[in-house]
Amino acid sequence: MKKIDPDKVNVILATDCGSTTTKAILIQKVDGAYRQTHRGEAPSTVEEPFADVTIGVQNSVTEVQELADWRLLDDDGRIIQPATETEGCDLYISTSSAGGGLQMMVAGVIAEMTAASAKRAALGAGAIVMDVIASNDKRRPHEQIQRIRELRPDMILISGGTDGGDTKHVVAIAELIAPAKPQPRFGGAYRMPVIYAGNHDAAPTIENAFDESVDLSIVANLRPVLERENLNPARDAIHDVFLEHVMAHAPGYNRLMEWTDAPIMPTPGAVGNILQTIAEDQGIHAVGVDIGGATTDVFSVFDGTFNRTVSANLGMSYSISNVCAEATLPNILRWVHFDMDERELRNRVKNKMIRPTTIPQSREALIFEQAVAREALRLAYQQHKEFATTLKGVQQQRSVGDTFSQETGGQTIVNNMKLNLLVASGGVLSHAPRMNQTAMLLIDAFQPEGFTTLAKDSIFMMPHLGVTAQVHPKAAMEVFDRDCLIYLGTCVAAKGHGKEGKPCFSYRIEGDTLNESGEIMYGEIKLLPLGLGETAMVTVEPTKMYDMGAGLGKRVKREVKGGTVGLVLDGRGRELRLPEDRATCQRTIKRWIEALDLYPETGSAGA
Amino acid sequence: MRPMSLLKHPFLLALTMGLLITGCSHAPEEEVALTEPTQPPTPANLKATDHPLDKGEKIDLTWDLTEADVELIDVFEIHKAITQVGDVMIEPSFELLEAVPAKDAFRTGGKRGGKFIVDALNRHLTARELKKLDETLAGSDTPFQVGKMVYDSDGEIWDDHPTSPISYVFKIIAVGRVPQPDGEGEADENAADLLLAATQRIEPLRAESAVTDPITPGIQLFDGRLGSLCVIVLIISLSVIYFIIAARSGKPLKIRKIAGLEAVDEAVGRATEMGRSCLFIPGILDMNDIQTIAAMTVLARVSKTAAEYDAKVEVPNCRSLVMTTARETVQAAFLAAGRPDAYNENLIYYVTDDQFGYVAYLQGMMVRDKPAACFYMGAFFAESLILAETGNSIGAIQVAGTAMPAQLPFFVAACDYTLIGEEFFAASAYLSGEPDQLGSLKGQDVGKVIVAIGLLVGAAVATVATITASPAAWDALNFILDKILA
Repeated sequence: MKKIDPDKVNVILATDCGSTTTKAILIQKVDGAYRQTHRGEAPSTVEEPFADVTIGVQNSVTEVQELADWRLLDDDGRIIQPATETEGCDLYISTSSAGGGLQMMVAGVIAEMTAASAKRAALGAGAIVMDVIASNDKRRPHEQIQRIRELRPDMILISGGTDGGDTKHVVAIAELIAPAKPQPRFGGAYRMPVIYAGNHDAAPTIENAFDESVDLSIVANLRPVLERENLNPARDAIHDVFLEHVMAHAPGYNRLMEWTDAPIMPTPGAVGNILQTIAEDQGIHAVGVDIGGATTDVFSVFDGTFNRTVSANLGMSYSISNVCAEATLPNILRWVHFDMDERELRNRVKNKMIRPTTIPQSREALIFEQAVAREALRLAYQQHKEFATTLKGVQQQRSVGDTFSQETGGQTIVNNMKLNLLVASGGVLSHAPRMNQTAMLLIDAFQPEGFTTLAKDSIFMMPHLGVTAQVHPKAAMEVFDRDCLIYLGTCVAAKGHGKEGKPCFSYRIEGDTLNESGEIMYGEIKLLPLGLGETAMVTVEPTKMYDMGAGLGKRVKREVKGGTVGLVLDGRGRELRLPEDRATCQRTIKRWIEALDLYPETGSAGA
Repeated sequence: MRPMSLLKHPFLLALTMGLLITGCSHAPEEEVALTEPTQPPTPANLKATDHPLDKGEKIDLTWDLTEADVELIDVFEIHKAITQVGDVMIEPSFELLEAVPAKDAFRTGGKRGGKFIVDALNRHLTARELKKLDETLAGSDTPFQVGKMVYDSDGEIWDDHPTSPISYVFKIIAVGRVPQPDGEGEADENAADLLLAATQRIEPLRAESAVTDPITPGIQLFDGRLGSLCVIVLIISLSVIYFIIAARSGKPLKIRKIAGLEAVDEAVGRATEMGRSCLFIPGILDMNDIQTIAAMTVLARVSKTAAEYDAKVEVPNCRSLVMTTARETVQAAFLAAGRPDAYNENLIYYVTDDQFGYVAYLQGMMVRDKPAACFYMGAFFAESLILAETGNSIGAIQVAGTAMPAQLPFFVAACDYTLIGEEFFAASAYLSGEPDQLGSLKGQDVGKVIVAIGLLVGAAVATVATITASPAAWDALNFILDKILA
């Protein structure tokens, strides 16, 4: 990686090579601040007949240079560097998720301990984890070998044992993988990369266990003691192997790597990186979600701990059938405020699966798709909560006061009450016809508590900014604040339950454009106008059954951000409970839809 | 009130004279307001019947009594006499059993009249009764039995012979009210005191009932006093049956998470990752202690997990019988996990019966081998804190389970997880998840809820009765004590 002087960087070009499209953005210094100025998009060219990723990159960059009237490519189609008064860029960086991204298999001794840490390392590096092999995964050795042979991962990460701890089991895992001879996904000629990040005492034995058919890298133990994770060496090794092996064998990537000023990152890894940077910089707890056609990625940063999960079977097109199967149709239909024919819905789901690029053509179809999205997001977030936990196998410190409140290790660290920022991206969220719908999808699926700012990634710029943050954090932060996020507003929600129609909390809002006070009843949701860039001081006083961040019945005063949607006061309680009776549920949902003005022509929609 | 004639009542005349002599300067100018003792009505229709649903220790006495009678009667004296013990007939000799206030007798009997339940008839004979029996049996060598006591001329001998029937007769004497002086308007305190003293010397009038027929209390099949207990047992039993049926039919029974049992996997996992052993200590009592039996249930789970994880479980014992049971348990667990080959009986061994010898060995072993997970399950005494502190100092995950209240605080403070009393005993159902066991656990919880409600209600009633002295509250409290708690 070449050395960069951040002060001399005025123009940054960033691309994200996806499976279907390659997106390029141009970041320029405007009035002393970095701004995202132009964006271009072109079909990806990883597959035949082009089989060269750089063609797509050139096409997208060409669009940018035309829009910006700023020359970025020379006559040979190479990126012009460095920038001058009229052309070129100082920094070119790229991410890639082409060809399904980075696919890994991980292994560890105990599924909930070192194997879980290995999975966290892989997911954090932007990989998709195909399977986790562990001594206690209840599979017989021959079943494990069979599974390893079936998978064709890009690389394997082995962990297990604390430093100076167990060697027997981790060596046994290596001895399962070695004879299984897993084949890499790309390039039959290249050796399967295996990263070992386990007990250092076992490293020599591990080396002996593998022959020349694998390319073994040994890095520091990712769980040197059970009380602490050390994931960075393993993540760095994954990035290195990704570049050296996976990217090097993907079509055109060798050339692309020569162009870039920083290592190419897997797209999800870059998204995680920018979220982590923002959370650290602003001292906030953040959650990001990217809902795609086949998978849903959830990122979170709580108390400085970054976690990412990929829900491989939860998506809005290829995986929509699975969402319906997992969530069940009644659970999806509870979000729909009119009767729908179940047979027709099933047809709708299957059509979406076989024609993934279709978009809803009617209001009913849109409402149904957003109902599915709510459930997909809810399930993905639930999986994320189960994965983002404190470490297991750690000694607890107790006092006599803990007699009746003993908690096991492995409790989720995701705390909706602490959540400050919720960022949405992905088709169904980004391209919802109304911003109100995006906000309501987020509120219903994630059920934020207390005060939570809602935002969406305007043009899915987070991957670009994630990789930018590695080389120029200032530019990344400035663009993230000004251009990346579209603030939808703030959700103020009470945790707890009471009786329908009884007071939930009272509020007083003091701002330049909004001055209001009142009371929210249980089961009520209210939208108040608070525009983009505006702020207001909100004081809420919940009744004794509810908590809004300071404890039951305690008053909270916070400054809130406005947005394209406004300020949402949510008195529906947490966790959200919908009436079981279908007719009552429909009436309730209709009331909420009207309160947020989600589908303006609802009255004529036959509801 | 009608004034009395002093001439008709010499003692009142004497009293008046005395008052005149001792304090003529303070003598009341008007006549002393004393009344005649009331003549109580004779108790009629006295009947003695065997008290129903008891174990032959009570007799019900009932007689006619109206509210108007209560105004005239102060107390009823209950007199009892034995007429027959076994085959021996005895001349009745009445003695006072108890003096019952007329109001109480009326309240107990309600509309039926007076009622009194004679208690504890055949438990013991009084000294007087024994003397009477001695006189009756004078010159006879035949011993006689009362309850489980065999009496002979030398004294009492314990025996298990069945109760000899004893027949009783009763009579009651109604004692009339004594006239009370009208103290109001008495200017002189001394005079009032004298009047009171004089009144206390007035003999009340009495009316004696007829003697009842002889009655022999019999033992019934069911003890009515335990009726409420029967209801509670029925509720709990039906709850257990209901929950077992519900569990068998697939209805999910929610049982709260017990952190100590959930943590078994975590503790064994830690031992596996660290390449160290798990130490299981099954208390220091023998197999006849219920806590040791519960410990074996947890040991089975720990061993099964260890077998699945391929970890080592070491079980030092201080009772040989516990060692044998532990070996069987661990072997069965390894077999259930499909790893009988991994079972090593040498890891389950006997150390010593001596409490502190055993503890000293364990402490030394823990410091030397540094097991990654320590389980203390069973009955522990002074050694609890020694073991738990040692385990804590070597950084082990520690899970304790005991029903010894005195040791629980030590375990809670020094261990990672502690199974407290009932949780420990519920481990079997919790770990197995079998419908029968879960159902019975839930059913027992219903019993605990009933007991908890009873405690709260009892405490509340007792508090109210003490503070307000309300008769209704005291009646309720007596009902709880006599009828429910029996």
